[in-house]
Amino acid sequence: MGLLESFSTQLTQCFGSTSPPVFVFLQQIINGLVLGSLIGLIALGYTMVYGIIQLINFAHGEVFMVGAYGGLATFTYLLPTFAAREWYIALPLVLLGGALISVLVAVAMERFAYRPLRNAPRLAPLITALGVSVALQEAVRVFYPNATAALPFPNIFVPGSLSFSVGGGDIAIKYSGILLLVVSLVLAIALQIFVDGSRMGRAMRATAQDRDVARLMGINPDRVIVLTFVIGGALAGIGGVLYGGYLNNINIDMGFQTGIFAFTAAVLGGIGSIRGAVIGGLLIGLVKSLGGQCLPGGTAYDYVWIFVVLIVVLVFRPQGFFGETERVRA
Amino acid sequence: MTTTPSPDTTSPAEPLSPPPPAGRLAALAPRVTLLRVAGGALAVIGALLPWATFVLNEGPYPEKSTLQFFVAPLAVTGFRLHLVVLGLATIVVSLVPAVPAKGRIVRALGWGIIAIAVLNGAYIAVEGGGVGAITAAGGSVAFGSLVALAGGVLAVLGATAAGLEPVPTWTWRLPTWAEWLLLVVVYILLLLVVAAVLTSGGQGGVVNPYAGAVFLSTLGAVGGALGALHASGLLGWVGVVSERHRVYSVIVLLAVALALPLTGAGTEYWMTVAANIGVYAATAIGLNIVVGLAGLLDLGYVAFLGIGAFVAANLSGAAASQVGIELPFPVVMVISAVIAGIFGAIVGSPTLRVRGDYLAIVTLAFGEIFVRSAQNNIGGLTGGANAIPNIPPVSVLGTSFADPITVGPIQLPSGVLYYVLIVLLVAAVMLVFGNLKNSRLGRAWIAIREDEDAARAMGIRTGPIKILAFLIGAMLAGLAGAFFAHKTAVVAYDSFRFLESVTLLAAVILGGMGTIPGAVLGASILFVLPEKLREFSDYRLLLFGIALILIMRFRPQGLVPDRHRRAELAADAPGAPPPLPATAPVQTAAAGGGS
Repeated sequence: MGLLESFSTQLTQCFGSTSPPVFVFLQQIINGLVLGSLIGLIALGYTMVYGIIQLINFAHGEVFMVGAYGGLATFTYLLPTFAAREWYIALPLVLLGGALISVLVAVAMERFAYRPLRNAPRLAPLITALGVSVALQEAVRVFYPNATAALPFPNIFVPGSLSFSVGGGDIAIKYSGILLLVVSLVLAIALQIFVDGSRMGRAMRATAQDRDVARLMGINPDRVIVLTFVIGGALAGIGGVLYGGYLNNINIDMGFQTGIFAFTAAVLGGIGSIRGAVIGGLLIGLVKSLGGQCLPGGTAYDYVWIFVVLIVVLVFRPQGFFGETERVRA
Repeated sequence: MTTTPSPDTTSPAEPLSPPPPAGRLAALAPRVTLLRVAGGALAVIGALLPWATFVLNEGPYPEKSTLQFFVAPLAVTGFRLHLVVLGLATIVVSLVPAVPAKGRIVRALGWGIIAIAVLNGAYIAVEGGGVGAITAAGGSVAFGSLVALAGGVLAVLGATAAGLEPVPTWTWRLPTWAEWLLLVVVYILLLLVVAAVLTSGGQGGVVNPYAGAVFLSTLGAVGGALGALHASGLLGWVGVVSERHRVYSVIVLLAVALALPLTGAGTEYWMTVAANIGVYAATAIGLNIVVGLAGLLDLGYVAFLGIGAFVAANLSGAAASQVGIELPFPVVMVISAVIAGIFGAIVGSPTLRVRGDYLAIVTLAFGEIFVRSAQNNIGGLTGGANAIPNIPPVSVLGTSFADPITVGPIQLPSGVLYYVLIVLLVAAVMLVFGNLKNSRLGRAWIAIREDEDAARAMGIRTGPIKILAFLIGAMLAGLAGAFFAHKTAVVAYDSFRFLESVTLLAAVILGGMGTIPGAVLGASILFVLPEKLREFSDYRLLLFGIALILIMRFRPQGLVPDRHRRAELAADAPGAPPPLPATAPVQTAAAGGGS
């Protein structure tokens, strides 16, 4: 029937006689890496929050989405036209606007939704996170002008793309894609240095290991947790703006799906590990782009393969690549 | 099943005499009776004053709200009638010395009055063009809502100023025949109240913009009255009586539920709404096994409803189905349940290795895979974006369930047979749940929920038992799915998205995890409210998300809390008192009914 047919067609498209030239693969790999770096950037927020308060912050994907809308609002309503013309003025301002909104939302949700439930049974904060996710998505849909449909996102970086020919064809990468890739990796490295080296980073690691003992050592866990949400929110906001600039198109559903991918990436890399989140993100990006190319069902089923990866990882290696076994609480 | 609300968990464990009043309200203590009577009187006066200075939108709402007292003093209907009743009740309760727990009763009545005044006043102000509509405009005055609001506030102040008495516990025992008669009367009254609330305001939508406001106002009035009955201890007593005759109560309740088409709710529209509620209630009870009893969070549960529906659609002989056979409905139900159960076991199998939050994510992933596959018309079985339309209605002996029927002189609306079927289905599902809960298997599930390692140490084979929870829960959802496919006649992947899973979970949590009335109550609330509040449909999901946050914050144990579950969830809540010993029998009634 339909499924079997598409299965064989897809496989022959990749590995059979009608195998596409190499450049198609390379293009898919590049697309996957760009998407993957974004997923990794968001996964950092999941991995840090889960590492410290053992909460799957479902609403983190919505923080990313809110960041994109914040960036769009900054560009549309706050930037005078002369600034919007030059990308090196517009880009930092739009990034700042998006990150600021995301941080505000993330801190507010921690303060008003999660903190009161800090000592409640595990189920309560998880369901609250679902509620926050639905409420944020709907708040944007209802209150942002024309947000019921997808909105165009302006080009906030050098337009056009870098292209070169390899293996009998042309490969193109948007400049905004390169920006997304580079910024994500730089931010991840900076975060790793911060957590490893700074005094506050040490406090974060201590709180993640044992909140009560950390308190005895003179660390204020509340401040550490807020800082975690601030960092996660800022990264997600930056990711939202850059992703909007890359796709030139944002919608309110982008948060939920990307959020689940990012969570998958965080688990794949090992919850609590920054390196793991980035590598997991890149892998998920590759699974999506190459899976859409080679696996049965084509692009219509590329999401399904990510969920399959998620299930397989959770069942067979819940500690991920870089996670420590004793860190796994589930 | 009993419908008795649980005893007020916020009632402090205090001695029988009211505690000495404290705080700023103390100054009012000597004059409480005066305050209460004045509150009731103001509510009645407010009901008789004009509420708006013009006819809103030239429609029937607010029903005669421009009525002049001297023109038609007795033409009091709708929300004004509710106000008069609540106000008079306040006065009577305050003045008759024999009534116990006066403060508590008057407080409930006062909140009812406030709810009516605020809801109608706000509606008139917003829809009628600003505050002018409820104060004074065009040379005439209309401040009925303000007077009624003042009355409600006075009543609540007067009720709480002297301190609240504990809810009294009645231990009357009547002869058996009298108690049976009493239960019949109580359940019939319940049926009438449910029908009145359901139909109040009529069918929501563009043609009837008042439906939401009228419905909410009625809900406020009924809530105030029920609160007062509960405060008087009468509801608790009825709960104890119905627990004493449990089997009899269940039969009467079932008969009463089947009699709903004979009341004012007996139209095709309400039959459809009730049937939809039934589908989600049955599914929520299935989810309740997985989440409420076994403590396994499932975020993709609606997929099983979908699997049942798609199986039934394919076996229905619909033109779009791939499998060209048509089977009788009972056989289809069994097949749907079995296939959904098989998928349930597959989805549940990761529970052998995965726990807690990670399990929730695995089930979410399964749910998403189902939706994606259905969207892409996997194997040609789901119709994809075209859905599977034109599923023929169930028919038995040549009678199509979609047609109206006539029994003797009584004309019943179309869809009534579907309603009867779903009531019987829900009753059967309740029976399964109730018996499972009190069985060896149910106790094993609860043990796993409380502490999996300890349960294993006690000799429970946790692996198969957890998978069994998924399997049985999924089978119940599959049954509901088969019904759903035939009732709605169209099955599309869009009905089984993640949000539906969250809504079902919210229904279980709102009602109270692990209890039968809870799941049904939660499903009813979550599926009646959107039907009634069409004019707020833009904000529906926003309010839903916020409500989810607030429930988890302020009442995580739900409306009908389970005994174990409540102890577990309320232990950490600030200010939560230990459960009162006196409430134990009523709890059993609420938690263990339905078998």
